[in-house]
Amino acid sequence: MAPGSPSTSGRLPIARPSQVRRAALRLIRSDTRAFAAMIVLNVLAAAAGLAGPWLLGRIIDEVSGGGGVQAVDQLALAILAFALVQLLLVRYARLVGHRFGERTSARLREQYVDRALTLRSSVVERAGPGDLATRGTTDVEQVAITLRDAGPDVLIAAIQAILITGVIFLLDPVLGVCGLAGMVGICIAARWYLRRAPAAYLDAGAANSELAEILASTASGARTVEAFGLQARRVAACQAAVERSRSTQLRTLSLRSVLFPVVDVSYVIPVVAVLLVGSVLHGNGALSLGTVVAAALYLRQLSQPLDTILVWMDQLQNSGASFARVEGLAQAMEPDQSSGQHSNPGPPSSSLVPADDQIAVRDVRYAYDAGPDVLHGVSLTVRPGERLAVVGPSGAGKSTLGRLLAGIERPRVGTVTVGGIPVADLDPELLRRHVVLVTQEQHAFRGTVRDNLAIAAPSATDAALGAALCAVGADWALELPGGLDAEVGGQAIRLDGAQAQQLALARVVLADPHTVVLDEATALLDPGTARHTERALAAVLRGRTVIAIAHRLHTAEDADRVAAMEGGRLIEVGTHDELLAADGTYASLWRSWHGRPGA
Amino acid sequence: MDADMDSGIPDHRGALRYLWWLVVRQRGRVAVGALVGSAWTVGLTLPPYVLSRVIDDGLTPGNTSALVGWAAVLLGVGVLNAWLAITRHRTMSKVRMDARFRTMFVVVRHAAMLGAALPRKVAASEVATIGMVDAFRISQTLTVTGPGVGSVLAYGVIAVLLFAISPVLAVVVLIGVPVLAVLVGPLLGRLHGAESAYRERQSELTARVADIVGGLRVLNGLGGKDLFADRYRRRSSELRSEGYRVGAVTSWVQALTVGLPLLFLAAVTWLAARMAAVGDITVGELVAVYGYAAVLVVPVTFFIEGGYEVSRGLVAARRVVRFLAVEPELRDGVEAAEGPAAAAVLHDPVSGIEIPPRTLTALVSSRSSDSAAVVDRLARFTGSDATWGGVPLTDVALSRVRDRILVADNEADVFTGPLREVVAGRWDRDDDAITEAIRVAMAEDVVQAMPDGLGSAVDAQGRNLSGGQRQRIRLVRALLAEPEVLMAIEPTSALDAHTEAIVAARLRAARTGRTTVVTSTSPLVLEQADLVYYVVDGVAAASGGHRELLRTHAGYRRLVSRGAG
Repeated sequence: MAPGSPSTSGRLPIARPSQVRRAALRLIRSDTRAFAAMIVLNVLAAAAGLAGPWLLGRIIDEVSGGGGVQAVDQLALAILAFALVQLLLVRYARLVGHRFGERTSARLREQYVDRALTLRSSVVERAGPGDLATRGTTDVEQVAITLRDAGPDVLIAAIQAILITGVIFLLDPVLGVCGLAGMVGICIAARWYLRRAPAAYLDAGAANSELAEILASTASGARTVEAFGLQARRVAACQAAVERSRSTQLRTLSLRSVLFPVVDVSYVIPVVAVLLVGSVLHGNGALSLGTVVAAALYLRQLSQPLDTILVWMDQLQNSGASFARVEGLAQAMEPDQSSGQHSNPGPPSSSLVPADDQIAVRDVRYAYDAGPDVLHGVSLTVRPGERLAVVGPSGAGKSTLGRLLAGIERPRVGTVTVGGIPVADLDPELLRRHVVLVTQEQHAFRGTVRDNLAIAAPSATDAALGAALCAVGADWALELPGGLDAEVGGQAIRLDGAQAQQLALARVVLADPHTVVLDEATALLDPGTARHTERALAAVLRGRTVIAIAHRLHTAEDADRVAAMEGGRLIEVGTHDELLAADGTYASLWRSWHGRPGA
Repeated sequence: MDADMDSGIPDHRGALRYLWWLVVRQRGRVAVGALVGSAWTVGLTLPPYVLSRVIDDGLTPGNTSALVGWAAVLLGVGVLNAWLAITRHRTMSKVRMDARFRTMFVVVRHAAMLGAALPRKVAASEVATIGMVDAFRISQTLTVTGPGVGSVLAYGVIAVLLFAISPVLAVVVLIGVPVLAVLVGPLLGRLHGAESAYRERQSELTARVADIVGGLRVLNGLGGKDLFADRYRRRSSELRSEGYRVGAVTSWVQALTVGLPLLFLAAVTWLAARMAAVGDITVGELVAVYGYAAVLVVPVTFFIEGGYEVSRGLVAARRVVRFLAVEPELRDGVEAAEGPAAAAVLHDPVSGIEIPPRTLTALVSSRSSDSAAVVDRLARFTGSDATWGGVPLTDVALSRVRDRILVADNEADVFTGPLREVVAGRWDRDDDAITEAIRVAMAEDVVQAMPDGLGSAVDAQGRNLSGGQRQRIRLVRALLAEPEVLMAIEPTSALDAHTEAIVAARLRAARTGRTTVVTSTSPLVLEQADLVYYVVDGVAAASGGHRELLRTHAGYRRLVSRGAG
């Protein structure tokens, strides 16, 4: 059974704003040329886009001034030429931007996987696979969307907006001021919106996930629904979730109902202002009619880039938060010095080499995070080559002891050593040649059967792989279509828990450590298969040290020694016969196992 | 809004009929959407017109009152359009929401109705896709009912306005814009095509990250990190190359979608400018033409996107309709019987197993699936010749079988909700009954460990419980259902010996006088059974008391005491 599950206090860190900025700059700096090219091309494209209204203004002036068709033709041809130039510039700006985004997000995701792979076991165990996976998938993808789409879009829009505003100022500073003043409403509305939107969209997302969960669980649990007659309950649950989802979506809609009209009206106000002020200036002869019209058209044009920025605003905010979570992994890689609750928090060192295969536990106390101790002074010497069964009721601390023995956790007080060296201090490469833990939570990787086994022995021959599979009763794997090359995990052939478990055991056979800790490693298997697997495994592991943790007593009688635990303490250690004779905890467990009263 | 999701049976005779059903369910709202959508698209044509009047009438020196008047109109039109835009957005959002939720609801209701037959007909992931992705696509389709209708009107209005200025310009613009749209449309299609291949690869890579992270424990314990890092890097650079290919296409599409309308606009402007130069049209009209041509892009884009959305929506609706047409496998005959009046013998001819009433019977098998198959036949989860009190089970109404015989699977699903509701199952139960069932299943500690006792929330699939806790909660639920016949598959496999012994004894006591079947290989459970069947290769090889079988049957002894015998 699960140990006192590592709690949420082991959450992975999130990067601080300053660290996020530095990380973003690093990403840009590693591709400076592309980034610079992207900016230059976009500025040129936006500049080309400005020619249209200006030239139209000139046309109007020519027409008003009685200019002939020829003058108009030249200007109109120029509009066409600029449109063509803009088209080409936009194309190359987009291409450069896209490639930059693609390269950078590839760099980011690869870096993430590299970092995740170097995390210490205890960090991974505490954080739980969920958070780590979410950051590596959803968050990395969020950032990628910004790099590929939102980033370039917003960058282009910002450049356009700045250039357009600049041109209006060039046409006439007074008109420029009028235009900008009209935009104040957008800034206020955007601020108002951005303060409320993230929480509202987060709620909407959560309500949507809940709905998805109800849908998925009703479908996957359809048999249970039928057996227990839960149809009405499921339908009611769906209805309630729909209502919640609806109300969260109405909330985001009401936020948009404020933002959108304010923005729309804000686009009109500067145009009206420019026309009014412009007409006065035109009347004074300070401005030509064409200039006023061009300024008004530019202001109308300004709505496009501003809309783009507003549309991506949420995305930028979200991806900023995602980036902080992705970068947070960088801190998780540094050994945790702050907690101070571990007696010996030094990083694993490759200089430490165990003198022999002797595993010793000395007066160990252990607590998950800040919780109460779950082990209270456990001492135990494991004899090399022996088969030790650890038994006891759920919650006795068996699994925790297993994790300490395998170096996944560090004792709060006391030591767990192999050949005199603390197990948790060993370099992982070295550790896995000494101790390997197998629990019942197993994982079959996407890939071939061979890939799944090669983890433990990259250079093993097919014969060795086959032998390892047979040794754990996984002959079925060889009979899959394609044999060792059959694709398992993922979409291809789905393995059930028992099959994944057998692959895991085959890996251990291939890894060939001198000590194996089996924590309920056969609990998921069919009783018949379990018996077969246990026997085969026992034969393969003969001469190795095997520490078998079980809440059932099947294995205890065969073991060389039995360690009985209860309430975080080691109550008894001895051979099966000795403990029966002692008539203590183990004897009573044994009797209850065999259904004799007096337990 | 409609709280009565439950009302109405969807028309699932065809995709189009289904979409129409979604429209009819909210006809009032759709009508408002069409009205406001039309007003909005027509409203878009107003600013260029007003702008042209400002220039022609207002900017002529000395015409201050006209200027102020037209400027005020421009502002008024802006405010009106803003109001129309948000009203349209609000209405259409609600139309889409209603369609999406209604579709999801219908899918969930149908999934619940299909029951055990569902996994054999449709994959659960497929159902989830239909309910989430397809429902969303369908909802997007309904957008055509609003702005889609409006686009037709707007096109007409602009046509009239342009004809008033110049018939030649009108023909050029009215034909040019749709031609442009037809040119850009396929480009968008190509974009979607290129991106879908990319997205497929991307989600494959994403799955790989989840895979690596999920297996980090193994990689940490056994090595092989370099192997996985290398493989990931290779796939990642493949995705990058694919991304470059997509980028080459998308950059052209993006440039052309912006550039082609601009080129067209330039050409129209040229034509209009020449007309203005010779005095055929005024300067203001020149600006208006420029504005109309720009505005016309909006309705035309709606046509194209609308067409694309309708085609996608029809595909999605077809999938929904196909799912709604799936029917349960087992059906009652014409004369569905009630079943035996009193507790009666259940007989499975395939295995030769007979379950005597009012006793605790155990099925023991080295392959768990063998015992489970017997249970499935006896509870009519699969059709067979099994009988109940001599009556073929297939003649008994399925609803009566489910009411009277309960199968409690070892891996039965635990749904989200407060613990009290999770264990209560179908009916609400009072706390006394719940407390008693919890006592029998030795689950007091589970309740105590949770923050709010029976009111605590249970996560999806009971993920906030340990394996042993989940198993006891499942047992509580099965006991609370108080079925006439309870068939429990491996109800105590995850419990430690001490707990298991107590649960087995209490289970026996709690079910006194009622029929109970358990599958198990644990001596602690078998000890409690009145009758034990030893099943080999799906057939009863021996039966009797546990101790008797231990004495007389070596295979049985080996199995239940594993290794020890």
